[in-house]
Amino acid sequence: MITNVAAYPTDIFGIIGLWAGLLLMLFIYSYPLWKENPLYRFAEHTFVALAMAIAIGTNLNSLNNTAISPLTTKGQFLLIIPIILGFMLYLLLVPKYRWVSRYPVAILVGSSLGVGMAGQPLPNIVSQIIDTITPPKAGAAALNWFNFVYIAIGLICVTMYFLLTYEHTGPVKPVTQLGRYFIMLALGAYFGNTVLFRFSMLASRAQFLLQVLKIIPM
Amino acid sequence: MSDKTIWDKLQNVDRRVFYWILFVGLAVPFMFPLGLPVAVTPPTQGLYDGLRKLQAGDVVVLSINSGVSAWGDCLPAMVASVTQVLRQDAKLVIWSIGYVDCDITYREIVNRVPEFKSKTYGMDWVYFGYCPGQESNAALLRDNIRGVYTKDIQGTPTDNVPMMKNINGAKDIAMVLTSDTGDVQTYYRQQWGPTKSSRDNFGAVKYPVAEIGIAMNLSGDMSFFLSGDLFGLTGGSRGGAELEKLVGIKGDGTITMDSINVSHLLVIGAIVLANVGYLLTRGKK
Repeated sequence: MITNVAAYPTDIFGIIGLWAGLLLMLFIYSYPLWKENPLYRFAEHTFVALAMAIAIGTNLNSLNNTAISPLTTKGQFLLIIPIILGFMLYLLLVPKYRWVSRYPVAILVGSSLGVGMAGQPLPNIVSQIIDTITPPKAGAAALNWFNFVYIAIGLICVTMYFLLTYEHTGPVKPVTQLGRYFIMLALGAYFGNTVLFRFSMLASRAQFLLQVLKIIPM
Repeated sequence: MSDKTIWDKLQNVDRRVFYWILFVGLAVPFMFPLGLPVAVTPPTQGLYDGLRKLQAGDVVVLSINSGVSAWGDCLPAMVASVTQVLRQDAKLVIWSIGYVDCDITYREIVNRVPEFKSKTYGMDWVYFGYCPGQESNAALLRDNIRGVYTKDIQGTPTDNVPMMKNINGAKDIAMVLTSDTGDVQTYYRQQWGPTKSSRDNFGAVKYPVAEIGIAMNLSGDMSFFLSGDLFGLTGGSRGGAELEKLVGIKGDGTITMDSINVSHLLVIGAIVLANVGYLLTRGKK
């Protein structure tokens, strides 16, 4: 076993950064743990402003690296087309020339759709169908066979549940009802994992609090 | 005197009381670790096995597509994966097509992985930062990395980064590890997934993509692990703890698991109490 190398900062800016982070975190938590207050609003607005500043700075830097710089230093003049299209998007804000922005939007939608459609079928549809209808190999564990049958029955029942062109009565009723139970089980698993994620976020904040206060090592 | 029973009172407890109990319940195990065992699940084992197959000089992409807010879930597994990649003497290309705050995550990974100390930036690993574009970006990166990243984070032109000399696309890269809070792993599966040879063969050969995801992704993405579209998958801090166990490090994933376990017990207790209370008071209203 080795331990993490991250340690409590020794420089003044590192320490200020840690305490600023801790105070802002406590300001934010003052809302659920107490009630809305000016400190919470200060922290919230600071977060929004900083996040926006970082996003603008990073995106401008990216624009410079991928378009402006190659255009001006390497003479890649074709890049002027996407740059103009990008600026045309901002005419969305000018009511008189709003129609101009529809062209870059149309190109964006079309190209994104094309890129997405080209990659979708194989991994998301074909591969999933192949995996669902392929039984485990001979000698596979009993659990693998159970999973195979479980998934097959679940798939049929849930698909039947979403066939809405006929009334779910008679012999179809138990199948669609079973499909509903499968959906509820899946939603339960999703919800459980969602709770796990939120607690994990909260746990890491509790850990941060204890680390800054030097109750536990960083 | 009030005729309210204990069950009535419990059902009307201020939610803030529960928040406080939860926060304290999460904090205490950090001070007094319980050391509960961590069992390794097949998706995490798949990721570890994939990493163990790396040869010296292989190139691995780490795509940081989770923000600082998801550190609790994604950072432990990222640190453990990078540790193993560097132990295998493989080279690392790091970038992000998902989150603008990836620089902070990158710095934290470098801080936490001691193996970086024996490696040289530019020779063994390189960091390109964030570039917007999502799926279109992933498609372009597959064929022409220089079309997206003209320079690294230090401003060195990509052509001048020694380790990038013969690397310009998916064909030069052994595997992609993508940390994920959403859909970015789908972009790699869709755009990097079928290689040219496998396209003719109806998906027989899949591009090696592994996901280091938040716990919320686990149920949805498990089907892609089972179908082989992801060779490995870690879900949340639990997955991080499992990978730390396999790699042999004691990181935040392992440390956090006690806290997570206690919080889950608290929630299960609250759900049981609430339902018992509901059943006992149902007929009285």
